[in-house]
Order: sequence, then C-alpha cells, then structure tokens
Amino acid sequence: MRKIIELKNITKAYDGQVVLDNINLDIYDNEFLTLLGPSGCGKTTTLRLIGGFESADAGDVIFLGENINDVPPYKRNVNTVFQRYALFPHLNVFENVAFPLREKKVPRDEIEQKVQDMLALVALTGFENRSVTSLSGGQQQRVAIARALISRPKVLLLDEPLAALDLKLRKDMQAELKKIQKATGITFVFVTHDQEEALSMSDTVVVMSEGRIQQIGTPVDIYNEPENAFVADFIGESNILDGVMLSDYRVAFSGHVFDCVDSGFSKREAVDVVVRPEDVDIVAEDKGMLKGVVTSVTFLGVHYEIIVDINGFKWMIQTTDFVDVDEHIGLYIEPDAIHIMKKSEYSGLYGDYSSFSNELDELSDAESESEE
Amino acid sequence: MKTASKIYTGIIMLFLFAPIIILLIFSFNEAKSLSVYSGFSLNWYKELFKDAETLNAVRNTLVLAVSASLISTVMGTAAAVGINKLRNKYLRMTLDTVTNIPMINPDIITGISLMLMFVFVGRLFGAATSLSFWTMLIAHITFCLPYVILQVLPKLQQMDSSLPEAAMDLGCTPLRAFFKVEVPEIMPGIVTGLIMAFTLSLDDFVISYFTSGNGFETLPIRIYNMTKKTVTPKMYALATIIFFVILALLILNNLVDDEAVAKSAKTKAAAKKEHSRTRKIAVGIIGGVLAVGCVFILVFSGSRTLELNVYNWGEYISDGSDDSLDTVKAFEEWYEETYGQKVKVNYSTYASNEDMYAKLSSGAVSFDLVIPSDYMIARMLNEDMLLPLDFDNIPNYKYISEDFRGLYYDPDDIYTVPYTYGVIGIMYNANVVDEADATGWELLWNEKYAGDILQFNNSRDAFATAQYKLDLDINSTDHANWDRALEELKAQRPLVKSYVMDEIYNMMESGEAAIAAYYAGDYFTMVDAQAEDVDLRFYYPDHTNYFVDAMCIPSCCQNKELAEIFINYMLSPEPAIANAEYIYYACPNSAVYEDEGYMEDLGEEAIAILYPEMESFRELYNKYAYRNLDNETLSYINTLWETLKIG
Amino acid sequence: MRNKHTSRGSLVQRLTLAPYSVWASFFIIVPLIFVAYYAFTDSEFNFTFENITRFFTATSSVTENGVDKEVHTYLVIFGRSLKLAVISTIICLIMGYPIAYIISRASARAQKIMITLIMIPMWMNFLIRTYAWMTILQDTGILNGILESLGLRPVHIIGTEAAVVIGMVYDYFPYMILPIYSVMAKMDIRLIEAARDLGCNSVGVLRRVIWPLSLPGVISGINMVLIPSISTFYISQKLGNGMFYLIGDAIEGQYIANNLHFAAAIAFILMVILLVCMALLQRATSRKTAV
Repeated sequence: MRKIIELKNITKAYDGQVVLDNINLDIYDNEFLTLLGPSGCGKTTTLRLIGGFESADAGDVIFLGENINDVPPYKRNVNTVFQRYALFPHLNVFENVAFPLREKKVPRDEIEQKVQDMLALVALTGFENRSVTSLSGGQQQRVAIARALISRPKVLLLDEPLAALDLKLRKDMQAELKKIQKATGITFVFVTHDQEEALSMSDTVVVMSEGRIQQIGTPVDIYNEPENAFVADFIGESNILDGVMLSDYRVAFSGHVFDCVDSGFSKREAVDVVVRPEDVDIVAEDKGMLKGVVTSVTFLGVHYEIIVDINGFKWMIQTTDFVDVDEHIGLYIEPDAIHIMKKSEYSGLYGDYSSFSNELDELSDAESESEE
Repeated sequence: MKTASKIYTGIIMLFLFAPIIILLIFSFNEAKSLSVYSGFSLNWYKELFKDAETLNAVRNTLVLAVSASLISTVMGTAAAVGINKLRNKYLRMTLDTVTNIPMINPDIITGISLMLMFVFVGRLFGAATSLSFWTMLIAHITFCLPYVILQVLPKLQQMDSSLPEAAMDLGCTPLRAFFKVEVPEIMPGIVTGLIMAFTLSLDDFVISYFTSGNGFETLPIRIYNMTKKTVTPKMYALATIIFFVILALLILNNLVDDEAVAKSAKTKAAAKKEHSRTRKIAVGIIGGVLAVGCVFILVFSGSRTLELNVYNWGEYISDGSDDSLDTVKAFEEWYEETYGQKVKVNYSTYASNEDMYAKLSSGAVSFDLVIPSDYMIARMLNEDMLLPLDFDNIPNYKYISEDFRGLYYDPDDIYTVPYTYGVIGIMYNANVVDEADATGWELLWNEKYAGDILQFNNSRDAFATAQYKLDLDINSTDHANWDRALEELKAQRPLVKSYVMDEIYNMMESGEAAIAAYYAGDYFTMVDAQAEDVDLRFYYPDHTNYFVDAMCIPSCCQNKELAEIFINYMLSPEPAIANAEYIYYACPNSAVYEDEGYMEDLGEEAIAILYPEMESFRELYNKYAYRNLDNETLSYINTLWETLKIG
Repeated sequence: MRNKHTSRGSLVQRLTLAPYSVWASFFIIVPLIFVAYYAFTDSEFNFTFENITRFFTATSSVTENGVDKEVHTYLVIFGRSLKLAVISTIICLIMGYPIAYIISRASARAQKIMITLIMIPMWMNFLIRTYAWMTILQDTGILNGILESLGLRPVHIIGTEAAVVIGMVYDYFPYMILPIYSVMAKMDIRLIEAARDLGCNSVGVLRRVIWPLSLPGVISGINMVLIPSISTFYISQKLGNGMFYLIGDAIEGQYIANNLHFAAAIAFILMVILLVCMALLQRATSRKTAV
C-alpha cells in the first residue's frame, strides 16, 4: 500500500500551549483512518493541518512524497467535511455540490452530470433545488459529503461529522460512510471522540491524548491490546489494577496470583493490569479467585452492569446473570482475559469504578462535547 | 395590539410627523411665508426647479453621500473582517476604542478637530486651499466608518467560521472565498451599514459646516447660510419632494419583499427569499456603483474649464427664482459668447461677515470673489487679505455713483466695488403699536410692548442699537462705552421676545412679534408676506447704521482677471437691475437707480425707504457706519455678548 | 524548521486592516491631537494654559430677580447645556421605551412598517425639520391655533427652554428608539413566559426581566441622544429664540470670532468631560449587569 500522507515530527502550540507534540503519522491509500481522543487532544488540529487551515510550528506534512507545508488549502487535493457541515446558506443543494466544479470552470453539462451522479451516491436525487437550510441534519450531512467528494480528492477529511445527529441516524450514516468509502476508494481521515464509532468504522484507529499519539492500530488491536491505561480506559470499559509481574505468564494483583498470556517483562516489574468487564465470570463466593460484595446493579437490556467491591477497589462487571445488591460473589478470570501493560504516566488515573455513575459519565461527556 | 398601545403609537407618530405635515402644507403656500398660509400654489416647486444653485447643492449632497457611504462601506467591511480575525487582545481593544471615538464625540468636536488638522496641514504644505470637496469627503467617510463596522462586525461574528474554510477547501482562493461565501452571508450587515452611512452623510450639517471649502456646497450648508435673509418655502418644496421619493422607494421595496415572501411561502422554501434578496441587494449595489460612476463623470469630467469661486451672502444674488435672471448662469453664457471659452462659476454662501472671515483667514479656502460689508473690508485690508483691482478690466465702474467712492474703508478706490448699500430701520406692526410710540430707538425699549420686541442675534448690530439709543460711539475702543451698551441691552432683555436673524421674517409676517430693527430692504419682503391681521410699517430713527457691501478680490484668488470680468459683468445694467430687484437693497449703481423701469416697479413707498432723501450719504455714512475694531475690543465685545446671552 | 507560511493569515489581516488603521490614525487620532494642541497654545502657538483657565474662571455679572451677581460664564453655559441635554434624554427614554417595546412585540410586518415610519423623519433635512417646529410652536403658531379653536388658552413655548427640549427630543428621538428596539426584538419571548411561570406579574416581568435585558440598548440610546443634544447649536438658536446660549453656541461663536484656540479649548474640555461620563456610565452598567 502506498503512503498518501505522512506527518513528520509535527509540533504546534497556541499562545505557548502545546496542542501537538511531535506527531508522526502515515496515512495509506484507500484507508479509513480514525483520529480518536477526548476533546482538546489535538485530533482536530491534526486534521486542519492536513487540510491546510493550520500550519505547524515545526515538522512537515508530506503529500504523495511532496512537502506541502506551504501549499494553501485550495491547492491541496484534499477535501473536508466540516463539523457543522459549513454548507453555504445562500446556495441551494445543487449549487453547494457544484461549488468546487464551478471554481474549476468545468463545462456546464459536465457539472450537471457529475452533480447528479454524486447526489445519487448520497441518495439525495430530487433535492437539487432545495435550500440547504430546509434540510434535516442527515440530509445536510449528505450534501456536505457530496460536495467534498465531487472533485475526487485523494483524501477526505471528516471532522466529527456525525456528532450532531441522533443515535439512530448516526448508526445509519456510519454504515453509509463506510459504503461510500468502499465505493469511491478514497482515503478517509475521520475525527471523532466516540470510541464505538471509531471501532466500528475504521481500518486504522489513532488514539490521541494531550497532543500525543497514544496508539495506532486496528480496532481489534486497540481494544484487546491497549498500550497504556489511557487507551484501555478510553476504549470500552476497563478495570485497571496495579499488578506485579512475577514471571512470564504469572501476574499478581488484588491479592491473588493469576495465569496470563503476556511475557517479556522483567521480574517483579510493576505493571497495569486490564480486565474487561465482560470477561469476568461470576461464580459462587467460595469458588471465586476474588471475592467481593455487590454494591450496585444496573439493568441495561442486554446485560446487567454491576459494581463489585473487592478489597476496596470497585470492579465493573457485565453479566447476564442477575445478582442482588449486597450479595457476596466470587469472580473467575480466564488467563486470556488478562492484559498486561507497562506502567505509564496514565497509571493510577483510570480504571476504578468507585465513583462510577452512568449519569455522571453522560454529563461529563456532554460537557466535553460542548467545549469543542 | 391593545387599544392603549395603539393610541400611544398614534400619538408618537403624530409627534414625529407633525413638522413634516407642516412643511408639506406650506410648500404649497402661495405667499413667501412659513407661518401664514394664504392659499394653494405650486409656485415654490416651479421656483425650486429654476434655482440652479439649490439643485446644484442637492446634486453635491447626493454625490457626497453616495461616495462617502460607498467608500466607508467598502473600507469598513474590510476593517470588520480584519478586526474579526484579530487575535491580539490589546490591538483589538485599541481598534475598538478608536472606532468608538467618532460615535461618542459630539459632531462639533469631530468637525472642529478635522478642520484644525486640514488647515494646519494645508498651511504646512503652503496649499492655497486646504478645504475642498475632498476634505469634506474625508470627514464624511470618517464619521460613517464606525457605523458600517458596527453593523458588519456582528454578522461576521455570527457567521460559521468554517464557511470560508469550506470554500477554500473546495478550491477558492481566500479572496474568492470572501466574495463568494462570506459577502453573501454578511450582506444584510453591509446593506444596513451602507444605508446608515448614506443617511448620516445626507443629513450632516455640523461636520460639513466646519470642513466645507470652495465651491462645493451641500444642501444643509446652503440652508444654514440662508439665515441672513430667509429660508424660502422652496426648501419646503424640496423637502416634500425628498419625502415622497423616499416614501415611494420604501413602498416599492416593501412590495417587492412581500412578493418574495408570498412566493417563498408557496414553494415552502423560506430561505429562497434570502437568496433572491441577496441577489437583489447585489444588483442594487452594482446599480449604485454605476450611478456614482456616472455622477462622478458628470461632476469631474468637464471640469477642465475655467473656474470662478464666488463667496457671497446667502440669498444675495438673483438666482432665477420668481422669474428673475439667473445671474450666475447668465454670466457663464455671456462669457462663453464673448470669450469663446467655457467658465464654471462655483457659487458658495455664508451667513455672516464673521463666518466668511473665519473661513478665509484660516487659509483653508480660496475664493476669487467675496462680498463683505464695509467694516469687514477694513479689517481684511488691515490684514492684507485683499488684492488691488485692475480697473481697466472693470470699465462699468463708471456707473458707480460718486457718493460711494472714496468711503473710509477704501479711501482711494483701489480694492472694492460697491454692490449694495442700506440703512437699518425700525419696523412695527401698526395693529399692535401706537403710532405715537413709533419713534426713535426707544420703541425697542418700550415696556408697553414687552414680549413683542425682536433684537439682532449678532453682537455688532445688537450693541449698535443700544449705542445709537444712548448716542454713544459705535466704533469706540473704550470698554466703558461697551459696558454701558451692555447694561442697556440687559435692561432690554426681559422685553425681548427673541434674538433673531432670519427668523424675523416669520415672526414679523405672522404677527408673532411687533417691533424689530432690521435692514431696510428686507422690510418689503416681509410686507409682501404679512398676514391679514398684520400691518407692517417702517421708519428710520435719527441715528442709525449705514452700510455698504462691496465686491472685492481676496489675496487667495486664483484667477484675478476672471474675477474682475465678473465684477464688471455684475455692474452692467441688466444683471445689476435684476440683482437689485431680487435683493431689494438699494444699489449704488446709476444704471440701476436711474433706470425708469426699475424705479417704477419699486413704487413710491419703496423708493422713499430704500433711497431716502439725504444731503450727503458720505457724511452720514462716515459718521454712523461700523468701523473695524481691534482684536482686543472684538474679543471684549464677544465676552459681553456671552454675558448677555447667559443672563 | 519554522514554516514561513504561518504568517499567511496575518497577511490577509494586514491587507484588510491596513486602510482602516491608517485612516483611523490620520483622521480620528491626529485631529484630536490637534484639538489638544490648539487648546493649549495661544495664537502664536506658544504653550499656554490660559484657554483652559479661562473656561473655568471667566465670570460675568447677571441680573437675576433684580439682584446682580457674578457667575462663571462657561460653567453656567455648560451647566445649562447639560441640564437641557439630560432632560431631553430622559424624555426620549420615557417616550421611546414603551414604543420600542410595542414595536418589538408587533407582527413582523407591522414592525417593519413602524420602524420605517420612525426613520423617515431622519431623512428630511434636520435644519428644515427644526424650522417647521418654529412654525408650530410660535405664539401665533399652529399649536396655539389648534388650542384656540378648541377654546383653550394659548401657551407660550417658543423661546423657552421647553421649546429647545422639544426640538432636541424630536431630532434625536429615533436614536433612542432604534437601539432599544433592536435589543428587544432579539429578546427571547420564552424568558417573559418563564418569568410569568415563576410568579412575576406584569410589573415584575418588566422590572426584573425586560428592563435588565434591554439595558444595553438603553445605554446606547442614551449615548446617541445625550451626546448630540449636549453640543447642538442650531436648535437653541432657532427654537430658543436666541435666548439660550449653549456650549455648542459658545464653540461656534468663538470659531466665528476667529478665536480658534479658545474654541478648541472648549471642545477639548467638553470632550474630556463626555469621555469621563461615558466611561463611568459604562462601568456602572457593567457592574449592574454583572451582579
């Protein structure tokens, strides 16, 4: 596969505040790549650097082997779908989509043909003369995509394009975007703070935090083999515990020694241990590797989410079996359910559910979104 | 709306439109009065269209308003874009503050500050004129700019900042992105800014007053300068026309909008209206630009002809109204016929000698011909502000009566040619004032008529009335003399209804006041327009003021020979008679006062008043005319005048 | 490596800001420096405080109720200007606030028509409008004509301070309505409903919701009426029968008397006083809205 875009040692600061810290990233042809991270992690800035709306303080942006640091946005073979779509309110659907072609002075009938094809691709045939302000969010989204794709860019940049849509619509659009990407063969660089979205759509996920890339990998890699506590926590739910590597394949945490599948750590190395909530089995108290008391139970439809207090550390466990609050239970963990990570600066910051509450989580999510 | 709201709205609208209804009605008045309605007539509309100078002022006003509003809109929009992008907090704060200055500074300060700078810089570069159309344009742009910025800036802030980025992303250069995407978005702000700028520029008087220069007179200035004589109803006619033009435009605009609304409602695409409106606005702006282009070409294309800048009192030349001769136009035609070359007379007006002097002595303007009064001529000569005339170019000087040669201000007849002369007399309404009381200056101090007496609203004339009454020297440099006059004026103040210049016309004609001292010639204008229950009479007190206004050439003159030819033309019988008939002041030109037709038209009463029998004009004149006073005395009088006014 | 195109944004910025910045410095800042320069120099351009001190110390004797007394000429003039301007501003506010509210609650079409109606008089020449008021207000004028035909006693207005105030109110009235209206039109109607829901009566809604929210409009309305009315000189000459000498008349009078330096000094002092007042007003209201 061919590298389309390379970011080399990119650093960028606003008013002395570093937003991108030595970013290195390769983006390949025909790839669906997602930049994932909480707000303020630098993902949008990275996207804007590729689009040409920002310039780096240091480092290079390479496009097909050529340095494009000084190429303005309108000369880059890259197009963007903006966060709130940025449709031109004074133009109708057809004219919005035709905008780039008119700029290039493409002949009239050719424009007509191309716009019709593109509207068909995004399922908006028949909307040509509608005003963009009269469209629903999903329809606006499609217009923005059609407009960005019509000049056949090498790369399409999408800046949280689904954030404004409701859940159902978002799911549909995810599938549709994936379909469009396959159909056109254009590289998509997608920015989101929604890990589920990232996992379900991407070929490659780039997890970012505080201006640095934390991990690059396929969705499966990222979920199963998080590099550090930040990634583990950000992607899905995780119980993250302090552990000690006794030897290869042997790890001690929560006062118990477990078999595991990881090796290559030095003896008695302190590590972070990740156990996903769905990987824990509930057994009778006396049969469990760990014992604890259920402190809360939440019914979530497919499963229950329960919080178990084990020696003061609150675990989250997802189970289909019903248990009651205050019940004493035992936990059983398979060796391949345990994932060992090197200690990092994020160690100890995440993975304890002692203050957990669904509601609070959603609240803080909403806050971080509105900050963006 | 509730009934109370409706009633309240009605009252407010009545308040707003009462004066407009009044001027609408009086524009159709038969008489030349702004207070006595004597029947329907379209006369003033006819007069208006014959008044080339007023129409010229209308054109100037429009040219200025259109160019100032367009330039300030373009520059202000660019500035708003720049300010909106500005990240530096301090720079932005500074710019915001500067932008606010013209809005929180009173007009008068903006006007004075610009005038001081223009004059200073003009002097620095030794320019003959530092005030001109261009300084006025600069001033207007300056006070319009903040309003444009304040309209455009919020629109930019409301706009989704990714719109221009999207355009660039899709292949637009930043400049194209601005015009294709940002401009349509902020268009409502730009249009509102443009309209505000246009309105402000159109109506501005104060700033224009301080920054206007040669030969470019706007309507507000022209109206203000009419205040020595009178604001004629043709100005009401003009205002009425403006009113209906605006009304028509607004109704048209509303109709088009409603149509767009109706259309968009049908198609259920509300935003389409927006679309068609922006397009309409764009078309409007292009049309506006083209119109201005045309006007500019009209104004400045043929301007390579000879130009003569004349500076005269308002309403002090026969201007074509009342079927009179349009002197300026006639001169232009005559000159072209005689010399085969086009000449353009730029005619500007002033309201008082002091007004004219302030402009001329600032070095800010350059005129080729001015017509000041005697004492002002003396002052200007004293300060080397006048040039000696070449009388070879003025053969018609032969018509000037011997009586008016060698007067004190120009004893050797080198600098001046008399234009008019006159005497101050006292007029009264015989229906109010007893004949027996109508004698001497005492009438103006007669407590019986408290509240019916008018006094001059200029210091020299007002003090003179007191000095004549007390038999004091009007040209004294003795403070005690002036102090005594002040005491007399203070004593009179409770009896005075109003300190007036041009307002005298309204007040005497309508019977609002009954007693006033004024220039003899103007009495007839008032008699012509007096209300039915008013009976104006006139008499001369024993001691009174004699004055001569004379044509002279200031030292800033650019084309002396042309000015002399103009003077000569003004002395020739036809224009001289036309002028005398129009101004109604006595004329020292024998071609006029010996003309039988003219004398017959005047009638006996008028002759008796305008050309009173006197043994020797020169003797009376030299005794009772104003002389130039030194700066110290003038300053002292000004202080006394302020004292009287704050009383 | 440092990218050179970091300055691209600021280049556009410089190009758009440059003309205005240059213009503003030359035609807004520099002229004010000239006012100060003239205010502090004599006719030979030597530095002096004389003009400034003259403003504060010049006295004249006036007779009031038969008693002679010395007063500070320019302070009296300034005080009178301030008094009339403040009265006019208050009347404009009292008259304009309800009408702005009524308009802002009318249908879109009615709003447009009424705003247009309010603006039309502004397009007529201000000198002529003032002239028309003379015709209405004078003793034998139209107002008294109407009163008489109604069998009422005629009123004497022209030449009184009331006439000057009427002129000022009339001329600057739209400047009070428009900013208040534009703030009120943007006001969310749900806020009023919420206030009612929370137990406010009409007066309470007005006092606790509408009034504080409309303050920015009120402030800019006050600015736009107070400033021109404090410095007017035409209205006082025409409607005050020349009996009232205001600060604008004083400046114009000195200009005509060719006393540029003293005219500049009066202008300078007026400017400083106004700037201080505006700054105080701004601060007072920003504190009030912050609470």
